[in-house]
Amino acid sequence: MSASAYYEIGDCLLKAENVNLNLGGKTILRDVNLEINDIKRPGLTQGQVVALLGPSGMGKTRLFRILAGLDDPDSGQVYVGCPPMPVQRGQVGVVAQNYPLFKHRTVLGNLVIAGKQAGTNAADSKEKADKILHDFGLSEHAKKYPAQLSGGQRQRVAIAQQFMCSEHFLLMDEPFSGLDLNAIERVIEMITEIAASEEQKTFIIVTHDIAAAMEVADTLWVLGRDRDVNDQPIPGARIQKSYNLIDLGLAWRKGVTNEPEFIQVMKEIREIYPKL
Amino acid sequence: MADTNPATGTTAVATPAPQKKRVNPFIAAFLPNQAISVTTFRAIIFVQVVIAVAIWIASPFELLPKPGDVIKAFGDLWNHQGLAEELLSSFMVVVKALLITVVISLLLSYLTVMPFFRSLAQAVSKMRYLSLVGFTFPLTVMGLQGDQQKTYLMVFGMTVFFVTSMASVVASIPKESFDHARTLRMKEWRVVWEVVIIGTADQAFEVMRQNAAIGWLMITMVEGIYRSGGGVGVMLLNQQKYLRMDAIYAVQITILIVALLQDYVIGVIRRLLCPYADLTLERQGA
Repeated sequence: MSASAYYEIGDCLLKAENVNLNLGGKTILRDVNLEINDIKRPGLTQGQVVALLGPSGMGKTRLFRILAGLDDPDSGQVYVGCPPMPVQRGQVGVVAQNYPLFKHRTVLGNLVIAGKQAGTNAADSKEKADKILHDFGLSEHAKKYPAQLSGGQRQRVAIAQQFMCSEHFLLMDEPFSGLDLNAIERVIEMITEIAASEEQKTFIIVTHDIAAAMEVADTLWVLGRDRDVNDQPIPGARIQKSYNLIDLGLAWRKGVTNEPEFIQVMKEIREIYPKL
Repeated sequence: MADTNPATGTTAVATPAPQKKRVNPFIAAFLPNQAISVTTFRAIIFVQVVIAVAIWIASPFELLPKPGDVIKAFGDLWNHQGLAEELLSSFMVVVKALLITVVISLLLSYLTVMPFFRSLAQAVSKMRYLSLVGFTFPLTVMGLQGDQQKTYLMVFGMTVFFVTSMASVVASIPKESFDHARTLRMKEWRVVWEVVIIGTADQAFEVMRQNAAIGWLMITMVEGIYRSGGGVGVMLLNQQKYLRMDAIYAVQITILIVALLQDYVIGVIRRLLCPYADLTLERQGA
């Protein structure tokens, strides 16, 4: 058994309360409740990485949009910050699957406009953008247009742009989709590094890749439907299971994929997937 | 180099990675989805022009004037029949009509972000099936004169096509582009500016190029309707009346050259203002 790292639970950073969503007479989300708290590690700066897993068509993207403030739920509310305030567009950054950027602006231009949207003046936005580009290893690409970037560079620019605006929170939709093993490792390293750069940095990753999710996250949420007495699915998904990977000794560790606990949790999730 | 796995006894033979064959550029010109250099492309154009001129010279058709006859007719038209003045007159009408069309059409197309204006844009688009002739009388009643009548008839003729194309460009912007802007705290009008107006500028230039071409297609017809106003269209019809094929070809080729120059200038402006536009294309050069 791996020893779990010592940590403390701090303030609530993001919370969803009784979120319900119906579309076209169909219940998509039902009583979704979740909470992300500041994880504190004495002597270390530690952000939060939560992975949202679930079969296709379960409402992950809908929940993702509600958490980002892009869509309103039929009932319930998403709160961010401390004290908690209802989420507004732009407070939670979003990096969609194909890493959208403004094609007509350079990399630097994409970051500067995001900074200005957050209320920073042009000079300060430029200064902050230069720093973020440096931190992300993108300085040499500042004058390039998005079409001139590789997939990995584009992903980093998309993340950098969102952090120019949203500061702490970032939702990522399928960041490992279509990547080979080496590229997945690089994305995991990047997320881990950024998450460790600031106490309140919080990633919420929506993915199908269970192994990658377990490698990068400190918490796993599995979205799915309940079953009735006849073992039929009840319409509307909610968080069915939550795994605290810190307590399981699987968070913040390199080479964790060979640990028996890792394999056990992965097996368990795979087993419950068909029943969700 | 061969590696044998002692456990299985299987042998893996490392073969050198196959080198990508360099295709002869002229062979590549006849293969699908090939990118060729600008130099090769220019060479192809040169060869095609030479072949076309050779066919023209050798043509047995009596009604097809020889290049020498066309050049001679051009000299006569230019020096004695005022081709330069007529061309300038037509050019000014096309440019003026194009500018007015661009303003009206872009405004109407961008306004389709509001549901109220979508039906209006659709109605304007449907009018592309109407004939221009039916609008001459209302323009006369409105008290418009000469070039004004031609200009507004051209504006109508081009606007219906411009709005059709540009409204389609706006409608085809993916939802994720709007959402991306929204995640950056942009208010809806700012989203419209960034995603709809600035974000489609390169495509607006492309639509403008197409409509400039439509303008040159229409000008001869419009000038035919308003013959008293002159222009290359009237000159063309006058030559046609006397079956002067050499002069007709001379005017046609002159229109083609001026229109191509105009198209080139719009293309240069597009490349200067929207340098990102062609970066994702397979055929960036030729």
